Amino acid sequence: MPVQGIRSVTSARNGVGAFILQCKRLDFHYCDWAGSSRGMVSFLKHQLNAFAKQNPQIEIRVSPRPHKHPVIKGHYINGREKAVCVRNLEPEQIFQKVNLLKQNSGEKNKRTKKPVTSINDSVRGIWSPYHGGLKSV
Amino acid sequence: MKRLQLQRWSSSALSSRVRTGSRLHRQIYYSGARFQSTTSNSLQFEDDQSLAGQQPTPPSTNSPFPQFTKHQLPSPPIQAARESAKLAALHARLYLPSRLPLETLARCLVDTSADPNFQFNNNSLSVLGHDLLTNYASEHLVCTYPRLPLTVIFAAMYAYAGPKTLHAMSREWGVEHAAVPGGEVDPGLLQFKRVAPGTNLKEARPLVGTTRPNEDQTTWRKSITSSVVYDNVFGDPELAAPPPAELSDNVYPTNDGINSEPPVTAEVASANFVRAVVGAIYLHAGRQAAKRFFEQHFLSRQLDISKMFNFSQPARDLARLCARENYEAPVAKIISETGRRSRSPVFVVGVFSGRDKLGEGAGASLVEARSRAAVAALKGWYLYSPLEVRVPSAMEEDGAAPWKPVYVDLGEVIV
Repeated sequence: MPVQGIRSVTSARNGVGAFILQCKRLDFHYCDWAGSSRGMVSFLKHQLNAFAKQNPQIEIRVSPRPHKHPVIKGHYINGREKAVCVRNLEPEQIFQKVNLLKQNSGEKNKRTKKPVTSINDSVRGIWSPYHGGLKSV
Repeated sequence: MKRLQLQRWSSSALSSRVRTGSRLHRQIYYSGARFQSTTSNSLQFEDDQSLAGQQPTPPSTNSPFPQFTKHQLPSPPIQAARESAKLAALHARLYLPSRLPLETLARCLVDTSADPNFQFNNNSLSVLGHDLLTNYASEHLVCTYPRLPLTVIFAAMYAYAGPKTLHAMSREWGVEHAAVPGGEVDPGLLQFKRVAPGTNLKEARPLVGTTRPNEDQTTWRKSITSSVVYDNVFGDPELAAPPPAELSDNVYPTNDGINSEPPVTAEVASANFVRAVVGAIYLHAGRQAAKRFFEQHFLSRQLDISKMFNFSQPARDLARLCARENYEAPVAKIISETGRRSRSPVFVVGVFSGRDKLGEGAGASLVEARSRAAVAALKGWYLYSPLEVRVPSAMEEDGAAPWKPVYVDLGEVIV
């Protein structure tokens, strides 16, 4: 056989064709009694419905967690989870935290040194010392 | 072009809850009346047996219907689909058309190993989805790269629509697996019977009964041409379909509580799920939606075909190619070099046919550089891609421009 094929797997480019939101689940934990949950309870009562309607791709779970501070946990497609404690926060501030979790990729936070990374080869090619303008010794 | 009527011939694969009316539907409804059945399990067994042989009589509806409990069912009941948050989230996450109901998506998530009843598992949908996927992928490959060798086409098909890719896609879609399938499980989880950990899959199930004659002769040479005839779209041996007589006995497997289906790996189950989703989109939303889904989710993934070649003797292949195409015989010439007598020399060699440079490569020895140059020349030939390619399925759209024949190549070099 003159040439053989090497099997490989195509790699995903999220957003090139279809876009899959990486946050797949948000857990809301609150306490009915404690004062640190006041903003959270208000958020759950008045704003969560609209948020859930706007973001149908996120599964939302609400559960009480008595005698603890309120927490929002985001579960991501890559298997990681991120938790934000929202004690004593106002509903608007909680909404910002929820948006933060929603828009997150689930990866660990890291400093981006180069703004553009690509899996495609460079169009220009790599500089070669053996081509063009050779000096004879 | 006359358009195929989707609704007429696709009703057998659609679930019984979606459409009503035809005689076929009555049969399906009858055999699938698991939840409304008046009979005990043993009676249900007899009914299903008789169904395969003769025409069924419609079930009497005036007797009371004792319900099965969820724990007796092999897969979640239909009503549970509307109550699952996971399922609705998955539907929205994939931007599935609203014409595809949640119930069908729930059915896509039930593997044959979890529920052997063909009315409730995703088998029919995944067969259809597999055919669609391989059809779209192959027409894209053949039209975009008309000169690819067959082995590379097989590998590229595997990369676009093979089980490994589909498994990765189902993970990237956020599909979770149920630990054990059952009626009480959330229908948003992928349900399949798992292989016990530590099972050696190759020893456990040797592939016998393939479509290939003399399959027991493992030492015989397997030509690529025979692979086209006998093997599947990935060039792998394929299990032969059971004879029609056996099939007709098994069309409606009984639901007597004993699941005799072999367990499957997560890769197989996820791949079947992804295929079933494509099949379901085709049936519910039509051909265009299925093709758009393929383009957005499958074709948009990155694949570098130039890295899928494995040449054994590139210089010889290039010589044969030049002879076939009536080019002058290829000649390798040194373009530049450095450090010939040193520990790390570099030679840049070009392969020329007459005055035309076909390819160029650099290497630490002259032979290495020459073979790299020959590989570059061969890839330049095989990876030719015409501009503005149209695939045959583009003709299925309404108001499509008249078809112009696509470029068809002679094929790979025969050495």
